[in-house]
Amino acid sequence: MTEENITSPDANSTNCCDEDSRRKFIVVSTLAVSAVCGVFPFAAGVTTILDPVKKSAGNKEKVPWTKVVPLTSLSEDGKPAKYEIILEQVQDAWTTYKNVPAGAVYLTRKGAGVTAFNLKCPHLGCAVDYRSKSNDYFCPCHNSTFGLDGSVTDVKSPSPRGLDTMDTKVEGGFVWIRFQQFRPNIVEKVPLS
Amino acid sequence: MDSLSTISSKYRGKSSSLMNKFLDWLDDRSGIRSLVKEALYEKVPGGARWRYVWGSCLTFAFFTQVVTGTLLWMSYSPSAQTAWESVYFIQYQVWGGWFLRGVHHYMAQAMIVLLVLHLMQVMIDGAYKAPRELNFWFGIALLGVTLALSLTGYLLPWDQKGFWATAVATNLVAEVPLVGPMLQKIVVGGVEYGHQTITRFFALHAGVLPGALIALVVGHIYLFRKHGIHVKEPRPKRDSYFWPDQILKDGVACLAVLLAVVFLTLYFKGAPLGPPADPSNEFPARPEWYFLFLFQLLKYVPAFWGAVIIPLVFGLLIFLQPFIGASRKGHQFNVGFWWCLIAGAAGLTFLAFSEDQANVNHGAAVREADWQAQRVVQIAQEDGIPPTGAVALLREDHQNRGRRIFAAHCSSCHRYKGHNGRGYSVEEDQSAPELAGFASVDWVTKLLNYEHYVSPEYFGGTAFKEGTMANKVLKKFDEEETKLLPQVALLLSDLAELPYQEPLEEEQRERYMDIFYDDLACIDCHDIDSEGEGSAPDLTGYGSKKWMVDFIVNPEHERFYGKKNDRMPAFGRDDKLSMEEIEIVIDWIRSKPASE
Repeated sequence: MTEENITSPDANSTNCCDEDSRRKFIVVSTLAVSAVCGVFPFAAGVTTILDPVKKSAGNKEKVPWTKVVPLTSLSEDGKPAKYEIILEQVQDAWTTYKNVPAGAVYLTRKGAGVTAFNLKCPHLGCAVDYRSKSNDYFCPCHNSTFGLDGSVTDVKSPSPRGLDTMDTKVEGGFVWIRFQQFRPNIVEKVPLS
Repeated sequence: MDSLSTISSKYRGKSSSLMNKFLDWLDDRSGIRSLVKEALYEKVPGGARWRYVWGSCLTFAFFTQVVTGTLLWMSYSPSAQTAWESVYFIQYQVWGGWFLRGVHHYMAQAMIVLLVLHLMQVMIDGAYKAPRELNFWFGIALLGVTLALSLTGYLLPWDQKGFWATAVATNLVAEVPLVGPMLQKIVVGGVEYGHQTITRFFALHAGVLPGALIALVVGHIYLFRKHGIHVKEPRPKRDSYFWPDQILKDGVACLAVLLAVVFLTLYFKGAPLGPPADPSNEFPARPEWYFLFLFQLLKYVPAFWGAVIIPLVFGLLIFLQPFIGASRKGHQFNVGFWWCLIAGAAGLTFLAFSEDQANVNHGAAVREADWQAQRVVQIAQEDGIPPTGAVALLREDHQNRGRRIFAAHCSSCHRYKGHNGRGYSVEEDQSAPELAGFASVDWVTKLLNYEHYVSPEYFGGTAFKEGTMANKVLKKFDEEETKLLPQVALLLSDLAELPYQEPLEEEQRERYMDIFYDDLACIDCHDIDSEGEGSAPDLTGYGSKKWMVDFIVNPEHERFYGKKNDRMPAFGRDDKLSMEEIEIVIDWIRSKPASE
């Protein structure tokens, strides 16, 4: 393209169609080039914004085992006891924290096996209490009641599901747990990761 | 016919009548059509030209910096324990972070180049003269703000380069008469560099300076529009309009800038990130290339001249240039002044580069910094970064400490691959053995060769050059005996249990031990697993960690050199090094030497 071909919009042209197609070409090229330049800075960094979405997708199978307590310290009659979960390592973006309290669980012994309930109520995340008198779990915020097996016992309970269990194992005389949090207030148990 | 309806009716047909209706509605309420018309139908006297593209390129570059800078901001954390760490996170963990950072880094450099081109176009065309004086001053202020943005920007990663280069720059602030020291404290946020330095620089870089730049650009464009494009008569072509003729040229030039920046980003795999800032870790402080001429200038003139007098005189002269340029001679002087300034800066930059090229220790320092940068990233990826920050990783790293202890305490006599352990050459002559690969098969094989033994690489610089081992043993071996030496080397090296060597088979060890005891009768002087006290160093566990600890603690012990010791200090006995330091340097010496 040469400068001779470019005319101002108010110039009178004898060959209207040639002028029109040339002008159309210039306008389309200009718009295209401007669009590329305008979009480029955003395109250069859009992946960095999407990064957290990409990271959470791959993590579901990577929940680490955390050592909680010797099996012998759990009562054999199945009475629940509350334990803090200290994660060996927690990654927050660029910082690696060691031995971080991440939450708490109720552990119940059943023979050689152990059941673990997350302390958080599946309704809206308040801390659930174990009531020894009635031998059940009770959420002091919105009065959800759960049986020893974790299921909702009172129909008036607002919690959409029972207490959240997590994988446990007994190894070397210790109870180990894959500690997780779950999405509150939905019927399905969906881990947050 | 106005602009928007021209486009919509002519090129998009009737299908966009809905669009037209919407634009009519919008126009009634905002007057947008006349605004767009005003913006696009600026007259370009003499037709669109390539030489007018620089202003638009700079606007595009600044726009890119604002967008990419804001995106970086989403992951950047300004504090002494998180700045380097979050930039590391962007560079190595965030999806596409290295590219985003690279674009921001190289676009900043492109801006400097574009500024110079824009300025020179204005000077040569005489577009700085009346009635455009005010706009010229706006432009010079924009130049200053852009340079300030660069200066504040490269501190933000809080790596060694940013830290040390900024230290020099802020020390220059102190040269300002009367208020200098106070000004420096304000800029640095105290006496020492730390959290407050970063937060202040970040506020300047991401808030104050871009804000000032936007305000100045608005004024600059307003004044540019008021006076129109400066064109030399006679006009080269028919007059045309900004849209689309000039915009197309501007767009193509912006695209070229964009492609250059993308190319640099891909070629260099993003922007560099040095080792984390550490005031106790020396660094060859050099500013970015566009400030190198100032750096070089400070080698020749006192800081007060470089920081105050010269900028003041030049600033005043530049301020007066629109008036000086009123006459033809004055204009020629102005253009000549800028050419000289550019040539001078280029010359100084060249000198700075070539002096560094010729300086062996500068090269070593750069390689050392590169090593540290790679090492700290490696540790961060393997072990994570503690809340205390990445600088602790490097300070506590045994490999890094081993090199430093060797350089500080061993390298005035010993060498490591001929240097001081950290890549620097040593001024003193080597007077004790080379220790890279100490006790490895290769190292011991050479030790048992007379020529090597008496060379400066081993004991040539010591009294042992004339000792029994050299003159009465190694020199006297006959052909048969010499053939057995490689097996002795294998035996001795096996005793070291080096982490990178396979141990011998039991049967081999016994066979070589027979050579040591009987064929060559080394046992007459050197013990291995025997009770008696030989007259030469005990080789039981030779080169093993324990043997080396005992030796370095006290080489004058009877087990080792005893009274024959030649200048080797008793580092442990005399408390020259702590036990921890001795073990760290031994672990480092016993690790496999990196291939160059």
